[in-house]
Amino acid sequence: MSILDYHYGDSYVHRMDPRVKMILLVLLTIVVFIISNFYVLVTMFALVLLVWKTAKLPMKNIVRYMKFLLSLVAFLIVLQGLFFSSGDNPVILMHPIIPDVVPVIGGHGTIYLDGILFGLVLGLRLLTLVCIMPIFTMTTTISETALGLVKLGMNYKYAYMTTTALNLIPTLQEETKMIMDAQKMRGFKAFETGKLMEKLRAYVTLVVPLVVGSMRRAQLMGVAMEGRAFGAMKTRTYREDLNLRTRDIVCGVFVMLLCIGVVYFNIRLGGWY
Amino acid sequence: MGTIIEAKEFSYSYPRRDNQVLKNLNFKVEEGEFIAIMGRNGAGKSTLTQAFNGVIPHLHGGTIWGNILVDGVCSQETEITEMAQKVGVVLEDPEAQLFTTRVDDEMAFGIENLCLPREEIIERIKWATKVVRLEGFWDREPTALSGGQKQRCAIAATLAMKPKIMVLDEPTSQLDPIGTFEVFDVIKSLKEEYGMTVMVATHKSEHIAEYADRIMVLEAGEIVAFDTPQVIFRNSELLSHVAVRPPQVSALAAYLNSMGQNIKRSDYPLLIEEAEVVIRNLIGGASNGQ
Ligand SMILES: Nc1ncnc2c1ncn2[C@@H]1O[C@H](COP(=O)(O)OP(=O)(O)OP(=O)(O)O)[C@@H](O)[C@H]1O
Ligand SMILES: [Mg+2]
Repeated sequence: MSILDYHYGDSYVHRMDPRVKMILLVLLTIVVFIISNFYVLVTMFALVLLVWKTAKLPMKNIVRYMKFLLSLVAFLIVLQGLFFSSGDNPVILMHPIIPDVVPVIGGHGTIYLDGILFGLVLGLRLLTLVCIMPIFTMTTTISETALGLVKLGMNYKYAYMTTTALNLIPTLQEETKMIMDAQKMRGFKAFETGKLMEKLRAYVTLVVPLVVGSMRRAQLMGVAMEGRAFGAMKTRTYREDLNLRTRDIVCGVFVMLLCIGVVYFNIRLGGWY
Repeated sequence: MGTIIEAKEFSYSYPRRDNQVLKNLNFKVEEGEFIAIMGRNGAGKSTLTQAFNGVIPHLHGGTIWGNILVDGVCSQETEITEMAQKVGVVLEDPEAQLFTTRVDDEMAFGIENLCLPREEIIERIKWATKVVRLEGFWDREPTALSGGQKQRCAIAATLAMKPKIMVLDEPTSQLDPIGTFEVFDVIKSLKEEYGMTVMVATHKSEHIAEYADRIMVLEAGEIVAFDTPQVIFRNSELLSHVAVRPPQVSALAAYLNSMGQNIKRSDYPLLIEEAEVVIRNLIGGASNGQ
């Protein structure tokens, strides 16, 4: 199962009005971009985890994102140490790999505490961002999303194009896996045991069937949608109606206040840590 | 009742191909008829089914000659979405036509496009779900259904729109015997209760023998025969030429004949009940002769 797929459930997050969810998603994304203080970020991440728990979304996904981001963070920290010197808390002193005489990039070899924290903050920020998106996508069906967009004033054709395109991503992920499995079943081992170049070449061979496949799929989807009279009328009716319930408003306002608080603390505390 | 579909010298070739996949088709279908389209793999059945709502040539491109009039409208010159209000086409590949995340959303999609009131939409979803027996599945993800359930879901999604004409491309290819029977039963009731015109591309001879009014036999893009099941299924030479399997009881009669029995061709049975009569006569004739 893919990270953007709808995750069946009946939690409060699932039942929340998609419009409120959408607005909060945008708001939270912006806030996470703004905040730079380590402790505020940790608080924010903890809150996001809490929402995951409420929506009963699989926690193992977060572990997966973490593993992926950890290597990125390590890379950033090393990069920072090797090529930039700022801050005044040296932690590890290394011999400069590029001699002093080379201007700008030469003479650096120190990993500063600042560098580590910078890497951590960036990593945590990315992790939080990555965890916010699924809270929406995994708890909202395509038709709810589309209806939400329509009710927010979007033309229904664009609303459906956007949402079905989003839905194509998990399908493509599945397709990738299927092609890889099919190749493995025919004894193709480059994905696991190949040398770097072989692996690279193996992934390139994936691209062609994937691109062709997704274009075909998109076209068929178009056929199926038009074949069911999509776009025949100026407007369209909906099976479900959205009704903004009091608790959705309360929850929305609460999260907004929280965001203001978070931004305020971030400004007061300042910096990275 | 009048003519609802009329093809006039209709030919088609896919883009960048020289050969015509459909060649000079001329035929008429009356309102309320149940037509089966038969023919070997690659004969052009799927291509023809897609010509009825204009997917051919609008989405695939290619070259057309002549035209097909559907309910008075030329399907090649009209937008697919407009044709979709008259003709519901269920495609061969059920995966490709399910694009929502819930079974009931899937069924709602088409009806919602028709701008019907909400109560009517809900009513029709219930009806369509019941017809294809997917009642317990309305909150399931279409991609997580079995092949047969997907096919039923795709049928229901089109059915809910209650089009004047339903075109189904191998709608039972992944269904078990009971599921196949149910789908044909549904199609029959559509025809009888709603006067719907139905065109089905299928290889299921037994069901066609029972339900279809006429069979269109395609061979390499040409119509080589278009007649009642009684005429088509008794013509063994034609059937072996176009690689279409007759119902087993008809095949049995032909086999018995080749083994020296003398069953008149016009007596070849199509249904089990008819076969019973023929065989009883054979046994009776044999015992009388003794
Ligand atoms: N998209 C396409 N582009 C080019 N040629 C195609 C395309 N789709 C089908 N054809 C060709 O057109 C011919 C008719 O194909 P069609 O799919 O209509 O056959 P069919 O009767 O439905 O066969 P089946 O019983 O296998 O479903 C075949 O020779 C096929 O190779
Ligand atoms: Mg076909």
